[in-house]
Amino acid sequence: MHFAPQLYLDPGSGSILIQIAIAVLLGLGVALRASWSSIKKLFGVKPKPEEEEDNDDSENVQS
Amino acid sequence: MSKAEQLSASFRDPSGFLFTRNGTLYRQINRAYSNDYARLMDSGLYGKLVKAGLLIPHVESDQLPAESDAAFKVIQPERVPFISYPYEWSFSQLKDAALTTLSIQKRALKLDMSLKDASAYNIQFMRGRATLIDTLSFEDYKEGQPWAAYKQFCQHFLAPLALMSYRDVRLSQLLRVYIDGVPLDLASALLPLKTKFNFGLLTHIHFHADAQKRYSDKAINPRERRMSMSKQALIGLIESLENTIQKLIWKPAGTEWGDYYENTNYTDSAFEHKKQLVNEWALEKKPALVWDLGGNTGVFSREAALSGAFTVSFDIDPAAVEQNYRTVKSKKEQNVLPLVLDLTNPSPSLGWNNNERDSFAGRGPVDMALALAVIHHLAISNNVPLPQLAEFFASRCKWLVIEFVPKSDSQVQKLLSSREDIFPGYSREGFESAFSSRFLIRKAESVRDSERTLYLMETQ
Repeated sequence: MHFAPQLYLDPGSGSILIQIAIAVLLGLGVALRASWSSIKKLFGVKPKPEEEEDNDDSENVQS
Repeated sequence: MSKAEQLSASFRDPSGFLFTRNGTLYRQINRAYSNDYARLMDSGLYGKLVKAGLLIPHVESDQLPAESDAAFKVIQPERVPFISYPYEWSFSQLKDAALTTLSIQKRALKLDMSLKDASAYNIQFMRGRATLIDTLSFEDYKEGQPWAAYKQFCQHFLAPLALMSYRDVRLSQLLRVYIDGVPLDLASALLPLKTKFNFGLLTHIHFHADAQKRYSDKAINPRERRMSMSKQALIGLIESLENTIQKLIWKPAGTEWGDYYENTNYTDSAFEHKKQLVNEWALEKKPALVWDLGGNTGVFSREAALSGAFTVSFDIDPAAVEQNYRTVKSKKEQNVLPLVLDLTNPSPSLGWNNNERDSFAGRGPVDMALALAVIHHLAISNNVPLPQLAEFFASRCKWLVIEFVPKSDSQVQKLLSSREDIFPGYSREGFESAFSSRFLIRKAESVRDSERTLYLMETQ
């Protein structure tokens, strides 16, 4: 893991480790969902249409 | 060349700092930040963020830097009409500030940049929207790097929002005590058990607090642990924070004055007359900045704002301020800023050297202040003598629009019903005489269908 050498905030050891752990968990979730849909495909269940791409210009976080 | 004065809130980041010269605000960018600045501008990120209303616009300036040794460039950012702080925001204001920060981070990552900090103090309300005001918050992103600002984000945004949503909206005031955000172990201890069944709060607050405790005095050796974080994983983390925050809600109910206007003693015609007078006097005096002190949901603030003034609508009740902010959003209003403030204990100067965050008084005086249906709360509920009230208002503004509510008024009677009347001087004559020592009374109008009087006064 390479950190930017000139960090001006202390990211905190615990905070770094936990975010990596959470990211791994979240990644597992994505992988599980992906494999679940391929299992469903094996049994002839059609996948849902792709979710809309996150569009920069139409995105309005403060709606 | 007149002297440049560095702003006292802007000293932590070696990338640059803010300074004023001849009343204009500039930001010096240091050479240490030149690559990141070029990247921000050249990658198109700056343009995209400004277009989306997420980042403060600036122009490059030919002003001399304030400290030339380290200087790379001077920029002039657009001026924020009124600086406010997270402990003055309602629930939705803090939530929108959090979502703005995450939205910026997502857009930055797409262009291989990342926010190096996630301070709530870097967000201000401009044109009614939460906007990042620190142009120097971006750095080059390198694949594998975790988010250095993750801890700060959780402390400044997620923890207070979760506490406000799950415990009590007044816990936003913890931000006044903890200048770098609510410590996660404290948030974890205060949050109810059910938050452990919410994946986002379980991980980003409870587990996060545990990890901080466990590794508090250990430096981590990255090579030993062979850990890194893919960009996809980092985006997953940001989206998880985003989902968690989106789901946090707070409905204003059961607070002091949420339905104040439905519970008043005045008639529609008195209400309309008051609106009309505020509007007329604001149009006549053309203030640039107005403070509505005790603004409730902002009905009269909007009358002042119609004159073109930027109007800050302060109220002690978080429910009223929340409702006011929702109106700003739904009507896309650009010149009303609702804020939570207790006039009897207004925001003090805070932070390093008591100088980082400006007090309420330090952010004035303003051209015009409104004090409508508020004097009896200060004079009777809070026992402030009238001459002291006159002194208070005279130090805050040039023009004062103030409503006198006599003892015979049912609202005052309610305040007096449970206590002894120790206010012999509280009368129209006593009020006028106390305020005449600091103000010239320019106008006095009886509010139609009521016993109240509305005054326009000018500070002497």
